[in-house]
Order: sequence, then structure tokens, then C-alpha cells
Amino acid sequence: MAARVWALATNTFREAIRDKVLLTLLVFALLVMGSAKVIQPLALGEEAKVVQDMGLAAITLFCVLIAVLVGGRLVYKEVEKRTIYIVLAKPVRRWEFIVGKYVGLMLVLAASMAIMTVGLYLILFLTGVRPSAYLLVAVVMSLFELVVVTAVAILFSTFVTPIASAVFTFAIYFVGHLSRDLRMLAAMSPSPVVKVLSQFLYYVLPNLTNFNVRGEVVHNVLLNPQALILAALYALCYAATALLISVLVFSRKDF
Amino acid sequence: MVEEITGQSHRPVGPGRLALMLPVVLVLWGFVGVYLLQLAIDDTRRQGVQERLIEELAYFPSGRFLRQAAVEYQAVAADFVWLRAIQYYGHHLMTDRKYEWLGHVFEILTTLDERFIGAYHFGAMTLAWDASEPNQAVKMLVDGMKANPMAWQLPFDAGFICYMQLEDYEAASEFFRIASKLPDAWVVAERWAAVSMTKAGRADIARQMWLDIYHGTENRALRALVLRQLRHLKLEEGLARLQQAVDQFQEAKGRLPVSLGELVRAGFIEKIPEEPYGGRFFLDGGQVRTTTPPTRRE
Repeated sequence: MAARVWALATNTFREAIRDKVLLTLLVFALLVMGSAKVIQPLALGEEAKVVQDMGLAAITLFCVLIAVLVGGRLVYKEVEKRTIYIVLAKPVRRWEFIVGKYVGLMLVLAASMAIMTVGLYLILFLTGVRPSAYLLVAVVMSLFELVVVTAVAILFSTFVTPIASAVFTFAIYFVGHLSRDLRMLAAMSPSPVVKVLSQFLYYVLPNLTNFNVRGEVVHNVLLNPQALILAALYALCYAATALLISVLVFSRKDF
Repeated sequence: MVEEITGQSHRPVGPGRLALMLPVVLVLWGFVGVYLLQLAIDDTRRQGVQERLIEELAYFPSGRFLRQAAVEYQAVAADFVWLRAIQYYGHHLMTDRKYEWLGHVFEILTTLDERFIGAYHFGAMTLAWDASEPNQAVKMLVDGMKANPMAWQLPFDAGFICYMQLEDYEAASEFFRIASKLPDAWVVAERWAAVSMTKAGRADIARQMWLDIYHGTENRALRALVLRQLRHLKLEEGLARLQQAVDQFQEAKGRLPVSLGELVRAGFIEKIPEEPYGGRFFLDGGQVRTTTPPTRRE
């Protein structure tokens, strides 16, 4: 079972690193990080902060783009090219196929993130900023954010086209970062329907603000370890649920 | 056909009911887990969660940096900062009444969008009365006047703060005069310019000014601030009126009154004024005080 999932994951990884989209995004991410050096004169004495802010933001944003654009095509492409028949003709269960694809994409993202993080530390070194290992906490929390976003992208990939999947996943991504604001605004609403609906959406949609600790990390604010652990558990729980729904949807398809 | 050959009837064997139900139950349990974890996260991060982003803003040395960073979206960025500023204000209004970053946030906000008159107006009033930073409020309004020379609201607010808080009646009169000359200015601006010079520090004028502010805004938070100030004014008036009667009594009789009731019986005051916070006024060795502690005077 685990061997079959791993085989699918490594195959997905190999396939993805041949993807031009991934390479382009990686190059762009490193360019954006590099551009922080150009912005330095405008930073009004806040050079270290700007470079770190832009670097961490670029890592998250470009990895989300990889998850959405590559993840949104993963399952759909297999169905489109009819290669799904070859895979499913082998003794591979459908849930193994979905989990294998997911693990493969997470490996791609982890590798991309590692490359970008090395790039960020290199740029910080060249800028004359003393890089702190504490930045890695923000990177790891971004990876947990991707655990959720990728699961959502895979879920959409099982029943809509890649473009629709990208649009829906981006929508979830943005709403996931605004959920707290929406909840606060809804709390002011006099309508009980709006209150109940907003509370429901707050808990059902992924709350991605749980993973955004970039501001605190850059300013060396001490983070609550309990909150970080809970956020990591939340990511795993949400991703497992989203993948379970993906498996349910995928199992009902006729191949 | 197959049945005829094999002589067996074919009934498709589908998955059992349990096999169908299990994934659905697992999905539901997954969401229950997500819900419980989110509750735990909210509980763990309750302290400071609402202020996280506003504190992020506090780290910026000035709004100038944000203005550049926002590229062509300064107005949108200002809108987001505006929402945060309101949240920050509301949060502290309900909790500790400390507004450490309010001035800084409004500086960022008005730098991002120099024409955001509503932000100047609300920011100046809350800075002057809630954060007790009238000088900072006037400075912000003067900066706003440079960017918006035709906006009467800005010099008007500056005049109001100079009159009410800084007690600089000459500056107040000058600000009101500038406001009265601008297009669409309130008619009261000219009147206020005059009274600022002639009736400095009078409670009846102050009350009228606050009422004008109240009726001239749709901002609920600002109206609540006005109501708080009117209540405070009523308390101050009551204390001042009673103290005046006590002093007159002492001058006429050569002794202090036994109680405030004696002032009424002796005809030094018509009746004891109402205490606006639900407490009562009392005499404490020649000084009129109230039973309402300062902490309860919202």
C-alpha cells in the first residue's frame, strides 16, 4: 500500500519537475527576492525588514501558484490523456492514486521551498543582513499552509477543468486569508442569518491566517509554540478531510 | 443471455451500506476536528489576534514607505488600514482605553490617501479625546489642510480641538475663520469664530459645539464620543454650579453648609443638579464631589 503510494508520489514528482510552469515560477520567485535589493534605497532605514518581508512573501506566493497551477492539472491531465486507465488497470486503488498525487506534489513544493529559502538566505547574505534561523519558522508554517491549499487544489482537480480549479482554489485562498475580517464584519451585522452563515463559513472554509506568522518572525516576536502545533494539526486535519472528499468524488467517476 | 447459459440469476453485488456510509462519516468527523482545532487556535491566540496586523503597521517608520510599497493601490491600501484602524479603536474602546498606536495608524492612513477627509475627521477627534493627544491631532489636521486646501472640515476640526482641549481661543478663532471662508462650510463656523474670542471656556457654548458636531456626522463611533463628552460636561457643570453655591453660602454665613440640601433650603441654589452617571453629589470638607469614581465616567 505505502509502496504503491510512494511510487505514484515519486512519479508525480519527476513529472512535475519537467513542467515548464514550475521552472518559470521558481525563476520568477528568485527574481522577486532579488528585486528587494533594488528597493533597498526606498526602504528608509528598514532594508533588513523589506528584504525579509519580500523574500518570505515571494516564497509563499510562488509556492501557492505552483500548488494551484500544477495541482489543478494533476488529476485532470491523467483523465484527459487517458493515462488513468493504464494506472488503474494496475493493482492501484483510487484512494492510493489521489494520495500518491498529493504526496508527490507536496514533495515538489517542499523542494521548491527549500530552493527558494536557500535563495533568500543568499540574498540576505549579499545584502549585508545577518540571516536568522528564526525565519525558518515562517517558512515551515507556510509549508503547512500549502498542505491545505494543495489538498483543496487536488479536490477541485477531481471534478473541474484546470482553469476552473485554479480560479476556485485562488478564491478559497483569498477567502481563507480574509475569514477573520469577514467574521468580525459579520459580528456587526444585525441579521441573524448573516451571523449564522458567516460563523459556518468561518469554520468550514480553511482559515489560512493560522499559518501567517511572517510579520512576527521578521520582527523577532516570540511565537506561542502551542498555537504553532495546533495550526500544524489543523492543516493535517483539514487536508485529510479535503483528500477524503476528493477520493469520494474520484471513486464515483467511471473509467 | 448469461443467465440462460449459466442457469443463475445475476444480481449485481454493490458495496454494503456501511462501506458507503463510512467515508461520509469520516468527512463529517474531519470537519468536526477542523472546527475543534480552530476553536483551540482562536482560544490560544485570542490575546493580540485582533491587533496583529495593526501592530504590523506600527513597525513602519512612517506612511511614506507604505505609500511607495503600495505601488498604484494606495487608496485600496488606505481602505484596509482604515478598517484596521476602526477595529483597533473599537477593540481598545471596549477594553483598556489605551490607544498607543492610534496617532501612528492615522498618520499612515492619511499619508496613503491624503484626500481621505473622513479619516482626518474621525482620527483627529479620537486622537484628541480618546488618546488625549490634541497636539498630534491638530498637526495631522494642519497636514491635511496643506493637501486639501478647500476642505472646510479640517480647519473646523482644528479650531474645535484648539477651543475645547488646548484652550487656545485665538488659534481656534483663526481656524474657524479659515473654515468659514471655504466652499460649503457649515454656517456655524463663522459664529464659532466669533464666540471663540468672546466667550472662551463657557460650558453652554461647549455644549452647543458638541451638539453641532453630533448632528453634523453620520459616524456612529463619533456620535458615541460626543455623547460621552456631553455627559462629562454635564457632570463638570453640576460640580461647578454646586461649588459656586457652597462658596456663596460660606461667604454669606461665615461657615460651610452641613449638606448640599442646606444650599437649597437657604435659597443659594434652586435644586441639586442631576448626576449624569447615576451617582450623587456630596459635600466633602467644603469641596463638592461625586460618588461616581473616575473609572466609571465613560
